[in-house]
Amino acid sequence: MKYKYTILPFRFDHFNKEEYLLTNDVGEYIFLSNKDFEKFINYELDMKSDLFYDLASKQIATSDKIEDVVAMLATKFRTKKSILRDFTSLHMVVPTLRCNSSCIYCQVKRHESSDHSADMTKKTAKNIVKCIFEGPSPYIKIEFQGGDPSTDFEMVKYIIEEAEWQNLFKKRELGFVICTNLTLLTPEMVKYLKKHKCDISTSLDGPKDLHDTNRPLQDKNLDHHEIFEKNVKMVRDIWGDDDCVSALMTTSKYSLGRYKEIIDEYIRLGFNNIFLRSLNPYGFAKEYKEKVSYPIEEFVENFKEGLDYIIEMNKKGKFFVEGFAALLLKRILTPFATGFVDLQSPAGVGIAGAIYDYDGSVYVADEGRMLARFKNYYFKLGNVNENTFQEMFNGNQLHEIIENSCNECLPGCADCVFQPYCGADPVRNYSVQGDVVGHRPTNEMCIKTKAIIHYLMEKLHEGDPETINIFWSWIK
Amino acid sequence: MKELKIPIFELSNNSFKLVVDTNIYSKEALNATCYKYTDKYFIYQKSADNPNEIDVIFETKSEVVVNEDTVKSFCNDLIDQQVRFDVNNRFGHIRDLIVEEAFKPVNK
Repeated sequence: MKYKYTILPFRFDHFNKEEYLLTNDVGEYIFLSNKDFEKFINYELDMKSDLFYDLASKQIATSDKIEDVVAMLATKFRTKKSILRDFTSLHMVVPTLRCNSSCIYCQVKRHESSDHSADMTKKTAKNIVKCIFEGPSPYIKIEFQGGDPSTDFEMVKYIIEEAEWQNLFKKRELGFVICTNLTLLTPEMVKYLKKHKCDISTSLDGPKDLHDTNRPLQDKNLDHHEIFEKNVKMVRDIWGDDDCVSALMTTSKYSLGRYKEIIDEYIRLGFNNIFLRSLNPYGFAKEYKEKVSYPIEEFVENFKEGLDYIIEMNKKGKFFVEGFAALLLKRILTPFATGFVDLQSPAGVGIAGAIYDYDGSVYVADEGRMLARFKNYYFKLGNVNENTFQEMFNGNQLHEIIENSCNECLPGCADCVFQPYCGADPVRNYSVQGDVVGHRPTNEMCIKTKAIIHYLMEKLHEGDPETINIFWSWIK
Repeated sequence: MKELKIPIFELSNNSFKLVVDTNIYSKEALNATCYKYTDKYFIYQKSADNPNEIDVIFETKSEVVVNEDTVKSFCNDLIDQQVRFDVNNRFGHIRDLIVEEAFKPVNK
């Protein structure tokens, strides 16, 4: 029997009682009523109907020469996967494990401010920079993490200047970021960071009582939130740009039910975006799960409320972005590639970002380093003082991890309707479920991501023009 | 021999038998699942009387005593391993192409 049209590969699922959602490998999507879905798969759709034209425009069906449509799909697929073109560009460096905070969900075993046993040596720093520049990427972003890197600012300066020196010869697009709680930054430090174009990333968990509960300073006499607020202003005054400092929030058990207050606090302090982030199950957050964690379903409900609040605020004229939604919307609404180490396919671990510990050990991701603090070295690629770049970044270990992190070929992901928008997190799978592949039916990251994508799809399907315009305004 | 749930059989206090249908589960999936349980239990596979079945024997290895739930968990894990095997057969070639692309910059 000759069919009137050709059905191209697509994934599908019930979206609600009346409709199916269909997606394809390049992220195109369409909603079909149950009746239309049946007609479609039984080759009974009218090829002159608007619905068929829609399906054809999304390359889910075609009445044209199939080779032409496949060529178009291949081009779109290459674009979506163009994040793989350059290899690792994000290099996270830990100059020290010293920190003056004692966050309740700390993911590393921080050291006291006076304990110098986990400070990086200049020899290791030099080898790290050498290793970074051996990578092929034309873009290099060196991100200082900790501990709090400002506790060893001399080492931060040493690495910045060593990288700038190397770059005189290598000529890459070089940038820096320092992740700090801001409390130890002085005007001199900030002027240095500005001069060397080192962006500042910080943490803000919400209003004073919440921030101080989640992120108390070790010196109980100091008021973290007050110092934070003062120093945000100082940084912005010196920089002359309110966007020079970005903030990241973490949701602890104490944050639930308080997203509106958290969002209001971000706005009060002059931020124009927030990334509503759930707790990562590493370090203290795993060890003291009962104290700080919560069922993922509660996070999802809070996320939805927070997102609705932000949308309403945008409708009233205040431009404010929710970062996770913006990332997913870019994947849903545009053909462009979006790298996000924690949620891409293959996972970004090692091939998009890597972390260099104070002793020169190289891990595929920050979370891999955190597992190592608890004596698990599965995600360690080697050490810059002992191994070559090729041994670490093109070795069997990284190949094996990446092979197991393509959601095109993971159980539960391969045929998931949200697969083109999602990704894999082998470190989290390993940490929580015992192996890098993981088990989707009980996987919290899967439950969370699917619920949030579904909610965004509901918004898109509702088609409120104001909401859609807001979504587009969030996509850079 | 007490039959608990088809096809799980309690052989003795510290020993159970599961009958696996090889029309449904591949040898690869079965081996992978057995391997997963070898840290806590003694596992043995043997051909059953029916040529389309394999008997898997579970025996207590140390302080972790084998029980009905152990075998039921094994059944769930067997499904997981079979899905991994099937997905790899269906989509492994796509994964290989993507991984090759991912490492191309460092293979030049």
